[in-house]
Amino acid sequence: MPKIKIDGHEIEVAHGTKVIEAAERLGIIIPRFCYHPALGAVGACRVCAVKCEGPVKGIQMSCMTEARDGLVVSTTDEEAVDFRRQVIEWLMMNHPHDCPVCDEGGHCLLQTLTVAGGHGIRRYPGNKRTYRDQYLGVFVQHEMNRCIHCYRCWRFYQGFTGYRDLGCLQIAYRTYFGRFGDGPLESPFSGNLVDICPTGVYTDKPSRFTGRRWDFERSPSLCLHCSLGCNTVSSARYREMVRQEARLNKSVNGFFICDRGRYGFSYESLPERPRRARIGREQASWDEALQKAGDTLARIDPASIACLGSARSSLENQGMLKRFCRLLRWEEPRYFETRSMARKIQRAVSRLDKQIAVSLREIEGADFILAVGVDPINEAPMLALAMRQAFRGGAEVAPMFPLPMRPFTNGATVAIIDPRPVSLPLEFDHFPVVPGEIEPIMNRLVKGCVSRDIVAKLGPDALRFYDAIPQDYPPSSFKGGWADVEQKLLQSKKPVIICGTDIVQESTIISAADDALLLKAAKGWAGLFYVMPSANTFGAALLSPSGDSLGEIIEGIEKGRVRALIVVENDPFWLYPDGERLEQALGKLDLLLVLDYLPSRIAEQAHIFFPTAPLFDTETRFVNQEGRIQWAKPVHAGGSPITEVGAGNHPPRMYGGAIPGGEPKPAWRILAELAEAISAPRGKVSLPASIEDLWRWMVQEQPAFAGLQAFDVPPEGFRILPDHSKEQGFPSSSRKEDRERMNSDFLEVLPVDWTFGTEELSSYSRFIQQVENPPSLMMHTRDAATLGFKDQDRASINLDRGPLEVGVRTMDNMASGIIILPRHRQLAWQKLKKIPARIPFERIRKM
Amino acid sequence: MGSPVLLQNRKTDRIATLDEYRKSGGYEALATVLKKHGPKEIQQMVQDSGLLGRGGAGFPTGLKWKAVADNAPFPRYIITNIDEMEPGTFKDRILAHSDPHLIIEGTILAGYAVSAQKGFLFVRPAYESSALIFERELKIAAEAGFLGKNILGSDYSFEIVVHRSGGRYICGEGTAQLNAIEGRRPNPRGAPPYATDRGLFQRPTVLNNMETLACVPHIIRRGGEWFKSLAKTKGAAGTKLYSACGKVSRPGCFELPMGPRLSEIIEEHAGGLPPGSEYKTCLPGGASTRFLPKEFYNIEMDYAPLKAIGHRLGTGAVIVFDHKTCLVGAALNLMDFFVRESCGWCTPCREALPFIRDLLWRIEHGEGREEFIPMLQVMCKHTWKSFCAFAPGATMPVESLLTYFGDEVREHISQKRCPFSPPSLSPSPYPLPPGERGNKMK
Repeated sequence: MPKIKIDGHEIEVAHGTKVIEAAERLGIIIPRFCYHPALGAVGACRVCAVKCEGPVKGIQMSCMTEARDGLVVSTTDEEAVDFRRQVIEWLMMNHPHDCPVCDEGGHCLLQTLTVAGGHGIRRYPGNKRTYRDQYLGVFVQHEMNRCIHCYRCWRFYQGFTGYRDLGCLQIAYRTYFGRFGDGPLESPFSGNLVDICPTGVYTDKPSRFTGRRWDFERSPSLCLHCSLGCNTVSSARYREMVRQEARLNKSVNGFFICDRGRYGFSYESLPERPRRARIGREQASWDEALQKAGDTLARIDPASIACLGSARSSLENQGMLKRFCRLLRWEEPRYFETRSMARKIQRAVSRLDKQIAVSLREIEGADFILAVGVDPINEAPMLALAMRQAFRGGAEVAPMFPLPMRPFTNGATVAIIDPRPVSLPLEFDHFPVVPGEIEPIMNRLVKGCVSRDIVAKLGPDALRFYDAIPQDYPPSSFKGGWADVEQKLLQSKKPVIICGTDIVQESTIISAADDALLLKAAKGWAGLFYVMPSANTFGAALLSPSGDSLGEIIEGIEKGRVRALIVVENDPFWLYPDGERLEQALGKLDLLLVLDYLPSRIAEQAHIFFPTAPLFDTETRFVNQEGRIQWAKPVHAGGSPITEVGAGNHPPRMYGGAIPGGEPKPAWRILAELAEAISAPRGKVSLPASIEDLWRWMVQEQPAFAGLQAFDVPPEGFRILPDHSKEQGFPSSSRKEDRERMNSDFLEVLPVDWTFGTEELSSYSRFIQQVENPPSLMMHTRDAATLGFKDQDRASINLDRGPLEVGVRTMDNMASGIIILPRHRQLAWQKLKKIPARIPFERIRKM
Repeated sequence: MGSPVLLQNRKTDRIATLDEYRKSGGYEALATVLKKHGPKEIQQMVQDSGLLGRGGAGFPTGLKWKAVADNAPFPRYIITNIDEMEPGTFKDRILAHSDPHLIIEGTILAGYAVSAQKGFLFVRPAYESSALIFERELKIAAEAGFLGKNILGSDYSFEIVVHRSGGRYICGEGTAQLNAIEGRRPNPRGAPPYATDRGLFQRPTVLNNMETLACVPHIIRRGGEWFKSLAKTKGAAGTKLYSACGKVSRPGCFELPMGPRLSEIIEEHAGGLPPGSEYKTCLPGGASTRFLPKEFYNIEMDYAPLKAIGHRLGTGAVIVFDHKTCLVGAALNLMDFFVRESCGWCTPCREALPFIRDLLWRIEHGEGREEFIPMLQVMCKHTWKSFCAFAPGATMPVESLLTYFGDEVREHISQKRCPFSPPSLSPSPYPLPPGERGNKMK
């Protein structure tokens, strides 16, 4: 490992380390514009110049110079300093100096380095160059005059994320970064342009002109809009969430987040967000509502009370709900809408352990990715970026090649087995088959790459599993791609299996883990990565081993067994597939008590309602889908935004000590108060009022939390996975042979997620609402032809719960025999009644 | 002056046909090589001949070929650089319009020497007629069995395609040319990796100037010693296509033994300066070389002698300036070209060149100030720290203007006008300051 000396300090670094990185480790931050750890070194801006002695001599760019033994670097050399000052002067020649009206002002790299670099007096006597700006959609504001041509946006947009509609046009001093014409950016990662631009060419449009960086209350936070748990920094001003940025987590999201995560936050500051306790439809004082709830619940037979938590709730809320039920001797709470989902997640959680689970970062290092039953861009967008980095052969692949094509990279092979028309910013082999066929095809692919001798070492169960995999799959209908993929898997050294949990069957989840074990046995290393439905699905599964769900509660209500329901931060109308049945069941309840922060449909129907505090107002923990527990700090003391309560006064004038609209409390705290109110007549029962207390109980309750003290979660999170999974591999009992082929008189409906419009929290965001596509069903062109549909037609589907009208898209790159329907907020897909739903052909009509 | 070698088949009205080329010994080298010599021998022969790259850098061609490792992957590529855009340079145009098969044969031989499978003729779009000629002659060569599968019955197969440049000066830069052929932005690539390891499509690639490859068939047919004996200067080899333009009576392209005196090129071959003109200076090898002061009027025009006095032979295209020509105006004119043609990748090139142009414009138009001179000097120096050789080349005329003709610059400043143009005439092709001209886009 080379040893180099920078400004008199010696440091030993790994081979291939650039001087700029080595200096950073010594705490010497060399100026940079074009260099970015995720985008690599390209030597374009020339501002990182240093003086070198030894194996290389003279002024060199520290981002392009590799550390070599005997290299002596001076960052303070007179010539280097003068050159850096000169470079900054050149960059500032055409910069508009509009810092007072630029949103980047105050956290602008160009501003910082201009001052730090010592360029103060303008000497260029000429006029400044000007450009025309473009409309880039609702997320990103374009102001091209500010550009210093570091090429970061181009390298990020086309190189890192693989989208093509924003790029680099023209040459020389007219070089332009933008689109071919005005129009919304097509990438679901476009908001990162704001983060990586070293000046104000791309600024955050939703938070435009809302304040300077130092005006904001800022805090490390988490994204709740899928199960990956990307890290963010959230900003609030005047009691309103204004902005969300990516926060570096090297194991999870790296430097970036997707647009759903960045702009989904505005549910927190909705004017219609309930901020007062309610009895019926009337607002009530907190104590009154608490009294009423306590009295009512105390009168109801404890055996007829059910509780529903959620997978979007924090670990504290989920845990307290469980403790609350235990204490009052009620039934255990449920966290899932349907039994099948609860069981699938149980399976996934029980199969993950430290040996096999991989993080997003580890996916980037894979050389073969087999993704089954998962549509990354729609379900967990940042997963698509990790897969792209693997495809590129590591993020640092020559950034001069923004659009690598397969012959030019040694990156990973990506194979997708999924019925949906999966689209990814990378080259991949897609085997579109119906959900029931995913598993046998995956098993067959893995079997072809693992010899029986190796499997024999894993024991008789493994061998039984291996031998049961039919040789005849895949059907001969797969074209050339199959043999190539099989070959690539055979050669691979670091394969990863990514398995969704939404559209697949329970046994597919088990098989994915078993297949990963087989690959691990054959290759010494293999990874397993599940994608789950919600931000804290993993936590919910840890706390509810029974696999019971809302479904059983509804049956209980219908049979009169359940008379009261407490719902904590859940809106079952969002995911429960039979809206009408749910509505009728809720109508029969003596008490529907809802705790939530969303203006949800169930909150409207609540007999008693308590407003809870969302993520941004309170300290919370979440467990992502790889079992990583992560921590979010409160961003601000929540309350009604000043814009709402200020009555137009500027500055808003209010008197009094309390924060208007500041009533919401964390759900776990409300539950503690409720427990006291319920038990008051029978002598006080107290639940822990402090978070430390709660955590002590949690650690006892769930061994996975052991070793996790209340406040010392490390910055990269903490994996709470066991060393060896609870459930042994190759469980024969739970596997069922479901090889039923689709027959031709019906189509199976597959409700799915879309990037925008189906995820609950972000669907309340006024920014996301502006970019979501209207709902449409997707079917294979062949099925469409049978039914007489053309692309863009409208269909009416006659369901048991009434007709569903929706636009039709026809696709060739999806499985036939199915209809894909987004769980879109604008679509009453809950008329399906149950999933899987099978629709006879004659019930689908053209409108 | 001996008989021409490269231009032996030059005619006044048309190109040499395949038959005419073969009559002059054409494709004999190829036939011999395919029968008798292995690739390694060819590399050695070319190295021994002392052939230096004619694109301007003067890198030994044999060494470049040897840089392709024996075990380097396939396919391998040859690129023949016919993207001649250096201002004042037109040698490739003359040669391409005289004897296209010489270039084709040179390319095939280079391909054989590095076991390449495919060659590209990268042609400047202004040379569309050359591109058409090449396309036609490539077909003829293929029909005659010199190209394609199993050339002349051997087991060597090679094909050549004509690639038309998008038409920017930077595409002539070797690594930018690789990007251009791949369909990317023609930004230069950094080295390593070198093109001979990972060039075009990440495969081993050798890129040579067209004139360089035109020498190869002759070297192979008549030997390295013969080639060396052609040169005038000691240690040099071959003939060179020199050209002269600017203030000369008979501008043109002349094939001369390597190393003629500058005075000889101007006076004997280009007919001297027109009556009434006095020699002031010249750019010895295109626009990205330094103004050569008068005292070097008799310098030998070869790589080494010019390098010894801090100058560059470049492309050997001499642009002559007389005593009535304003060198500030000339430098401004050239800078305008470089400002426009920068690829825009790195800051010194993209931003400093317009800065320099602006200051030159002001000096030329009577708005110059004394402090501009040190500013220009410092900036010219700093452009040497840019990504590729474009910016250092672009500032060479300005830097040498300030070094050798500082008085002329100061005269502009003190007189607040260009001393070469009568005040009554509008001196400038640019009526507005640079900032106002043509730089609005989109």
